[in-house]
Amino acid sequence: MSLSAALHLPFFEHALIAVLFAGSAFPLIGVFIISLNLVPLRFAMMHIALLGGAVGLFLGLDPMLFGLAFCALASVALGPLSEKTKMGLGTLSGFFMTLTLALAFILFSRGKINVIEAFGILWGSILSLRPWDLALAIGTSLFIILVVFLLFKEIQAILYDREIALSIGLPERRIYYLIVFVLGITVAVSMRLIGALLVDALVLLPAIAAHMIARSLKQMFLLSSLFGLVSGLGGLVFSLVVDIPASSAIILFASAVIAGCILFRRRLTSHAVNP
Amino acid sequence: MHHSVELFDIHVSIDGAPVLTGVTIDAKPCEFVAVAGANGSGKTTLLKVINGTLAPLRGKAIILSQDLSTCRNRDVLRREIAFVPQKANHHSFPLRVDEAVLMGRYGKIGLMRRPTDEDRASADEAMRLTGILPFARKLLRELSGGEQQKVSLARALAQEASILLLDEPTTYLDAPSRSEIMETIHAMHHERELTTVMVSHEPEWVEQYADKVYLLKDGVARLAT
Repeated sequence: MSLSAALHLPFFEHALIAVLFAGSAFPLIGVFIISLNLVPLRFAMMHIALLGGAVGLFLGLDPMLFGLAFCALASVALGPLSEKTKMGLGTLSGFFMTLTLALAFILFSRGKINVIEAFGILWGSILSLRPWDLALAIGTSLFIILVVFLLFKEIQAILYDREIALSIGLPERRIYYLIVFVLGITVAVSMRLIGALLVDALVLLPAIAAHMIARSLKQMFLLSSLFGLVSGLGGLVFSLVVDIPASSAIILFASAVIAGCILFRRRLTSHAVNP
Repeated sequence: MHHSVELFDIHVSIDGAPVLTGVTIDAKPCEFVAVAGANGSGKTTLLKVINGTLAPLRGKAIILSQDLSTCRNRDVLRREIAFVPQKANHHSFPLRVDEAVLMGRYGKIGLMRRPTDEDRASADEAMRLTGILPFARKLLRELSGGEQQKVSLARALAQEASILLLDEPTTYLDAPSRSEIMETIHAMHHERELTTVMVSHEPEWVEQYADKVYLLKDGVARLAT
C-alpha cells in the first residue's frame, strides 16, 4: 500500500495523531524515570495493569479499562505508601510486581480465563486505536506538557536532588507524588498504544538519547520530545513501507537515535586510550 | 533576646536505635555555633531536626520562635533555613552552575512562578561573593569538589535565609580548598548576619571560626570548655 493511500485510512490517521501527541509528550516522563531512577516503578505498573486486566476478564468487563483504572489507583497510592512504610519506591515496586502477578494468576486459574486473552493487555497496537484510546492519548499528552511547563523549576529541583528541593522550601513530597502519578498514567496509556513490552520505545529510549547530549534540563526535555517524535513518525511510516510491525519499527528508529547520540558524544568527549 | 535555634531534650531514634538521647543546644541570632562529634554520632540527624525534615520522638525544637511540633507550614519556615550538604550532588544530571545557584530562590519565588530579574541579580551576587561567577555557564559535573561546594554555598546565600546549616562542608576537600571554603563561610556569616550551625568531626578545626562549640557524644551535647 502506498503512503498517500494509507494516510486516508482512518486507522492510520488515528495512529499518526497518537504518535504526534504521545511521541512528543511521553518521552518527558522518560526524563523523570532516568533522573529519579524509577525503572522498577515502570515494570510494576505493567504487572498492575495485568492484574487489572485479569479482574476485568474475571468480571466479564473491559480488561483494558480495568488495567488503566488499576494503574491510576496504584500511581496515586504508591508514593504515599512508600513514605508510610519507609520502603523505597524501587523496593515497593518489586513487591507489588510479584504480588500482582500472583493475584492475576489466581484469577486466571479460578476464572478459567484464557491467559493469552489476558496477556492481550500487554500487546497494544498503534494501528488499532479506537477514538476513545486516541482521546486518552491526547489528553494524557496535554496533561504531561502542562505539568512540565507549569512546574518546571520545582521539577528541576526535585530531579537534581530531592533533599535540596525540600530544604529550599518547596512542597517536595507533593510534587514527587504528582510525578509518580503522571508516570503511572503514562505507562498505562502507552501500553494501550504500543504494548507494555514496547513502552520504552516511546517513554524511555528518547529520554536516554537526550540525556547523553543535553546540557540542561530544558534541553533534555526538548530533545527527548524531538527524538520521540522522530522515532514515532519515522517508525510508523517505515513500518508501512517495509511491512513490519509498527511498534518494532518505532523501537528501531529510537535505537538508531540512541546510536547517533553515542557517536555524537564520542566526538565531543575525550576517551581513554588503550595502552 | 530570642534565640534563632533552640533544641530542648531532643530524642531521635533511627530504625529503633537511639541516635540522640536528650540534646539541648541553642544559637542566638548572628552566632556561629559548631557541633563536633565522631562519625555516626548523630550530627546530620541534629541538622535534620533543625530544618524540620526529621521529627524528634521527644523534646522541643523552636526555630525562629516557631515550635516545629505545631508549625503548620514547614515549607515556609524552611525558606529561612539554608542547608549546605556534606557533598554536592555528583551525578550526571545536566545542571549549570547559575541554575544551581538560582535554585536557592525557588522556595521564595513561589509555586509555578518564574524567577524575576531581582532573583537572578541575587543569584549573581551570591556567585560573585563565593568567587564562582567565571564558571556560571559550566555544568556542575565539570567542576572540582571544592568548586562544587562553593556552588552549594552560593545557593545557600541566594536563598537569603536567616539560618545557615552546614553539614561538614569541607570533608571531601584537600587542605587549601578547606581553608578557602571556611574563609568563604566565615565571610558569608558576617556579611549576611546569619545564625550559623555547622557540624564537623574535627573540633580543633572548627573552634577557630565558632563563637561556641558543642561536643556531641553518646547522644548528648555538652558545651566545650
